[in-house]
Amino acid sequence: MSVLIGLLLSATGLLLSILSLTITTSVAGRLVLVIAGIVISLAGIIGFVNRAYVKNAIWRADR
Amino acid sequence: MRSLYRTAAILLAFTAASAAQSAPPVSPTKAPAPVAITDTDLKSVAPPKAEERAKGDPDGSLTGTAGDITVTDTRKGLTISDLVNQVGQNKIAINFAWTLLCGYLVMFMQLGFALLETGLCRAKNANHTMMMNVGVYGIGMFAYWVIGFAIQMGGVGGVANLGGIPTLSSEFAVNLFGKPFGLWGQTGMFLSQRGDYDVAVMVLFLFQMVFMDTGATIPTGAAAERWKFAGFALTSFLFAAFTYPLFANWAWGGGWLSTLGTNFGLGKGYVDFAGSGVVHAVGGLSALAIAIILGPRIGKFGRDGKPHAILAHDIVLVLTGCLILAFGWFGFNPGSTLGASGNGALRIGSIAVNTMLASATGMLAAMFYMWMVYGKPDASMTGNGFLAGLVAITAPSGFVNPICSAIIGMVAGVLVCVSVVFVERMLKVDDPVGAVSVHGTCGLWGVISVGLFADGKSNYGGAWNGVNGSVTGLFYGDASQLVAQLIGVATLIGFVFTLSFLFGMLVDVIVGQRTSAKSELEGLDLPEMGALAYPEFEIKVQSTH
Repeated sequence: MSVLIGLLLSATGLLLSILSLTITTSVAGRLVLVIAGIVISLAGIIGFVNRAYVKNAIWRADR
Repeated sequence: MRSLYRTAAILLAFTAASAAQSAPPVSPTKAPAPVAITDTDLKSVAPPKAEERAKGDPDGSLTGTAGDITVTDTRKGLTISDLVNQVGQNKIAINFAWTLLCGYLVMFMQLGFALLETGLCRAKNANHTMMMNVGVYGIGMFAYWVIGFAIQMGGVGGVANLGGIPTLSSEFAVNLFGKPFGLWGQTGMFLSQRGDYDVAVMVLFLFQMVFMDTGATIPTGAAAERWKFAGFALTSFLFAAFTYPLFANWAWGGGWLSTLGTNFGLGKGYVDFAGSGVVHAVGGLSALAIAIILGPRIGKFGRDGKPHAILAHDIVLVLTGCLILAFGWFGFNPGSTLGASGNGALRIGSIAVNTMLASATGMLAAMFYMWMVYGKPDASMTGNGFLAGLVAITAPSGFVNPICSAIIGMVAGVLVCVSVVFVERMLKVDDPVGAVSVHGTCGLWGVISVGLFADGKSNYGGAWNGVNGSVTGLFYGDASQLVAQLIGVATLIGFVFTLSFLFGMLVDVIVGQRTSAKSELEGLDLPEMGALAYPEFEIKVQSTH
């Protein structure tokens, strides 16, 4: 579930960046929206996708 | 026809001026105007006589003369039409030869990657790592020939330096916000659709194929020492058939990123001269996706989560690989002009110098960073800094000056050291060769640096991505170019990573991605490949312990 949320967030970040093209015509406004999109995508990858895999990583297993 | 005569007249005037070098200088006001010539004038241009030619040509003055120009009608003899056609063919021939030669250099980079990755792994996995680097060449090329090239370049429209290529002209696009968003090309499958059996298409295919294969080989480093060979093969096929070509179409094939300038007024659209984003960030982010799915090697992290160093088995191979890669990069960046004649292609000298400067500052920055922070100029990180500078300068190499190239490389050299530590200690992702940091992180930095440092001095035919003028970044007055670059970054992270991850999970379900713990501990050479890379070495170890 966490992986799915992470991938959705990653795609949502891209969507926000694309939407910046139509939400505003100002360069500064687009810059802010695109950076926000990148941050959302990175949060999805680092905060959800990777964390879900690290939780079950091989070095955490009892051996 | 009138323009043909004019061109020929200018050519003859230039030849006459060269021949009259010993004559006294003529005042500029009295310089003779070019005179229109006719076919009759060409009759006096005689090739060397057969008896002269039979004596040999030690100084080269008799070879390559009017006698070598193809005459279309022997009854008429040499005409201005023949002459002008020869000039056009010479231009395209120069560009073909340049592009092919640079493509061969890029192909040679496969050896650099193979040595670098194998050297950074343990001896027990050397055969497996080498085989992944060799295998990806065939697998990637096959997938790219079947469909990848068509998706990437099927709608590129025309490449002036290679003589036009009008056959690759079908781009699938959707309408979004009232503008066409090109998504993928639709011609070029098997190099056999419509008029794709074409000399220029072949040159473009070879050059783009070796670029794709460079990207495809990046995940093999991050996933080394635990990647099942079947999983690698299927993942590489999907990368070469879909992941890489889709983003490459958007950036280079006439897709939606390249039209951000014409459609939305963002600079010259997304600009990536030789592929910091298209090749390296795509490869680096795919590598991250695979490395997350695979998980770390056994023994890489302790139960407390602290990373343990797993030493490289041959640092000589590592640094030899780095030097081979740096050599191949002179094909990668200057070759991306797709020609050495016309449309601003003479900037190849500047591009080559930018490339070497960034590699030097990247290497020095990483070496001194490691020296200062960890006490020694670590060899593998110095090598990674060398490559980081090259990766970062790949996108901006055609648009920046030497000072900015040095800065871009220097930032990359430090960035790669910081990123390697972040990936390992914060993300707990095991990347044996630092591929995610070298290609992913520094690839993204290269894309951004175009939007910062492009100085507006380049001129590749007067326009880029259909927008008149030179590519200009934030520090030279155009903030909108930075926005276009960041949209490229958002696409790389949001699309390329996500698609790579989904493909990785699919492959995991179909054939499995990770080898068994037993195989991993034994070393992958025997269980996966059936033979050791160094059988004598193994025997020696067994006999002495």
